[in-house]
Amino acid sequence: MSARRRKPGFPPDADPDSPKAAYRGGPDGEQTGGSSDYVGDDLANRPERTLWGDAWIRLRKNKLAIIGLVWILIVVTLTLSADFWVPQNFASPTSTDAGSLEAPSAVHPFGTDRIGRDVFSRVVYGARVSLAVGVLAVGISLVIGLLMGALSGYYGGLVDTLVMRTADIFFAFPYTLFAIALLAVLGPSYHNVFIAIGILGWPSVARVFRSSILSVKENEYVDAARAMGASDQRIIFRHIMPNAVAPIIVYGTMSIGGAIIAEAALSFLGMGVQPPTPSWGAMLSEAKALMVAAPWLTIWPGFAILTTVLAFVLMGDGLRDALDVKMKD
Amino acid sequence: MALLEVTNLKTHFTTRDGVVRAVDGVTFEVKEGHTLAIVGESGSGKSVTALSLMRLIPDPPGKIVDGRITFRGESVLGMNDSAVRSMRGDRIAMIFQDSMTSLNPVFRVGYQIGEALRIHKGMTRKEAHARAVEMLDLVGIPNPAQRARDYPHQFSGGMRQRAMIAMALACDPDILIADEPTTALDVTIQAQILELMIELQQRQGTAIIMITHDLGVVADMANDVMVMYAGKQVEYGKADEVFYRPLHPYTWGLLASLPRHDVDEKGTLLPIEGQPPSLIDVPPGCAFHPRCPYAQERCKREIPELREAAPAHLTACHFAGQAGFGQGAAGKGEGVA
Repeated sequence: MSARRRKPGFPPDADPDSPKAAYRGGPDGEQTGGSSDYVGDDLANRPERTLWGDAWIRLRKNKLAIIGLVWILIVVTLTLSADFWVPQNFASPTSTDAGSLEAPSAVHPFGTDRIGRDVFSRVVYGARVSLAVGVLAVGISLVIGLLMGALSGYYGGLVDTLVMRTADIFFAFPYTLFAIALLAVLGPSYHNVFIAIGILGWPSVARVFRSSILSVKENEYVDAARAMGASDQRIIFRHIMPNAVAPIIVYGTMSIGGAIIAEAALSFLGMGVQPPTPSWGAMLSEAKALMVAAPWLTIWPGFAILTTVLAFVLMGDGLRDALDVKMKD
Repeated sequence: MALLEVTNLKTHFTTRDGVVRAVDGVTFEVKEGHTLAIVGESGSGKSVTALSLMRLIPDPPGKIVDGRITFRGESVLGMNDSAVRSMRGDRIAMIFQDSMTSLNPVFRVGYQIGEALRIHKGMTRKEAHARAVEMLDLVGIPNPAQRARDYPHQFSGGMRQRAMIAMALACDPDILIADEPTTALDVTIQAQILELMIELQQRQGTAIIMITHDLGVVADMANDVMVMYAGKQVEYGKADEVFYRPLHPYTWGLLASLPRHDVDEKGTLLPIEGQPPSLIDVPPGCAFHPRCPYAQERCKREIPELREAAPAHLTACHFAGQAGFGQGAAGKGEGVA
């Protein structure tokens, strides 16, 4: 290696490119200025960070994304710790004095429902099902969809035809009907709801990701990676995916809301989570008829869905920006 | 034995309109530490030749239908996929034309330079990074330790091409294929990149295959020159031979169309009339005959064989080397080198 050490006089001392870089100003310019103590320990002495490490640093600067993230963490913490602090039972009328359809009060901050159950505790516990459905079902869709989309877009030809025609078959069935059919086969239960919604979600993910891959793989750096001796696997996962994943992040966070609603529809039809387990969607469905008489029944689960979905969208948007290295800080 | 020997290489592409004979019977060799320049217009098959050497032809639609490629005595076309992968980037490396898009935008430059080392040399992230910094220094990037942490978009065009060279040379390959490495750069940077390549070649003893359409670019650095036209080689020999005593009318045309400032001639540039032929429908006989000012009846019928028209100087023209052929044109290239 020592043979490769730079010899005096080579390369030419004045690099032609450095003036260009210096004019750009900002940290870039300083960097070429030649001082070794540039930005102190911030950049120079830190071990090389990964793409995700960089993304986290950029994400932290995005206020809206952090608000979204904090809200999600709050909801998760509240619902996971609910057993320790929620005073009312979500499953049955809590006390003898609890009438049905009571307006919000000190005892029942969100009021009570048709059979006298505390809406507050139902909203808190409902987050378990709704969050789990949103995250897990979308997670299942993403895993299947990304894999299928990547194979389809990267290899093309017969693989592409097989995957995309299968996706077309999925698209051809009415969504709810297909979900009901799946649940009828699997049996209506908590876990099967995730699986059904997850399986039904992959074709859209695969389509979005395939088109993204198709455009990314034409880039010369993919050829360069191949010329470097990288394996297909490395090219797909290292070189193509990070460049193709932005639309998927947006799509994925958006579809969390869709999955929560889909769970509501299935629960409403009796194919989803079985009563008395609460879920936000199921609560909304139940409350629909009483919207005027007892608005708190729709407002609170609705508010919970709205804020949580919004939080995911904000975070997804921030994540997309954070993963784009060309965004100006 | 030469480092790389290519014999009668044919790479064809099957398209809806017919078979494109992108490379149609090309024979050449590259000696250790030497530079071969492949010259020709766009679409003459230069890049496809290079990609064929690396087995990077997309199949379908492309296919190497005939020929032999022998690298260090081993048949490249007979290798299995993993053998090809371990050759790519390690023994034969490539620099692409467009430095602006050849670096992956989501990875830091240092990471990308180190990637080949991690693939081929089994280095850890840390070792690869240290070596990447060393390579950046070698190619003349100031402050390499900091610059290695930059993203490609923070590099200028010339610096990216330097980074590409660092990437290609990281594993100390035997052959570096440079596919028009300076086309996307402005002239002053071009000269520096070429100088850098010559310098590194001398230091590391890397053989270079330089693909270009600019004869001026190769004049300084090539040992051998191969001129391609419509997928075939029309002239092949020592650089001095090809530049000072060009034998093929197409090479005369290329040399005559170069801007010259060393000759006090009040001349305009002489373009080669017409367009390169479609590779699906190559003219019968000599592919160059419709554009050749010296074409005769025989050129329309007979495909000229590549033959040794002068010592160590091959050409594919029926009349090359005959007394009086192309009088007045043959001297056009003189002085370019």
